[in-house]
Amino acid sequence: MEFSYEVKDSYAEVKADGRLNMVSAPKLREFVTDVIAGGSNRIVVNLENTAFMDSSGLGALIGCLKAARQAGGDLRIAAVQPQVKMVLQLTSMDKVLTSYTSAEEAFSND
Amino acid sequence: MTEVLASRSFRGLAAEDAIESVHNDLDSLWLDVPFVQDMDQMTFTTAVIESASNIVQHAEPAGQEPVELGVDITVQPTLLQARVSAYHAKPPFGPMEPATPGEDAESGRGLALIQALVTTVTFERQDGTNTWVLSRTSQD
Repeated sequence: MEFSYEVKDSYAEVKADGRLNMVSAPKLREFVTDVIAGGSNRIVVNLENTAFMDSSGLGALIGCLKAARQAGGDLRIAAVQPQVKMVLQLTSMDKVLTSYTSAEEAFSND
Repeated sequence: MTEVLASRSFRGLAAEDAIESVHNDLDSLWLDVPFVQDMDQMTFTTAVIESASNIVQHAEPAGQEPVELGVDITVQPTLLQARVSAYHAKPPFGPMEPATPGEDAESGRGLALIQALVTTVTFERQDGTNTWVLSRTSQD
């Protein structure tokens, strides 16, 4: 899995490309923690190229959400693909991790 | 005799690399059986990776030998089946019951997710090997 980020006007967009599994989950957590430490507390994780997520990956997203909120911000997810959507729905975490069509849309109404 | 249309087998040390290898095996398996519905591929792949990850993360060696992961997957006309095994492992610690973690919990959802993804899941322990048997009946 490859991570990248870009600071936009009102949020930081994190891209996580590949499989978000037990191998990459701790790396995502570390990556987002660093982005928050760099001064961005409004995070959009763009999952457009995240073809797979398991419960470890989901746990990492929840950890990142908590870290963003502790820093006074929030974390939202965007461009969720079918397998990730399925895992979010089956675990009822789609109610906690708000999903948006695109990264631009995620904080557009705030 | 049941007709096996395609299969994959993996055996190796229960380590992070094994998860990527099993996932690659699954991706290549689906290329051999394109008639398996996308939904079946997606759910079954997720269940197998969840089970294999559980072994890599939690299985403890019973003796001197390190825990090995074994994954044997078969595709039959209307059945997807995987035997996901932990060799040289202690019996699992604690109940094998799915937990219901709170919204902000960062772990503990794996077993419930596996049960939601497959038609049946059973657990066996024989000769020092813990095996999950995951079965999903294909959608027509």
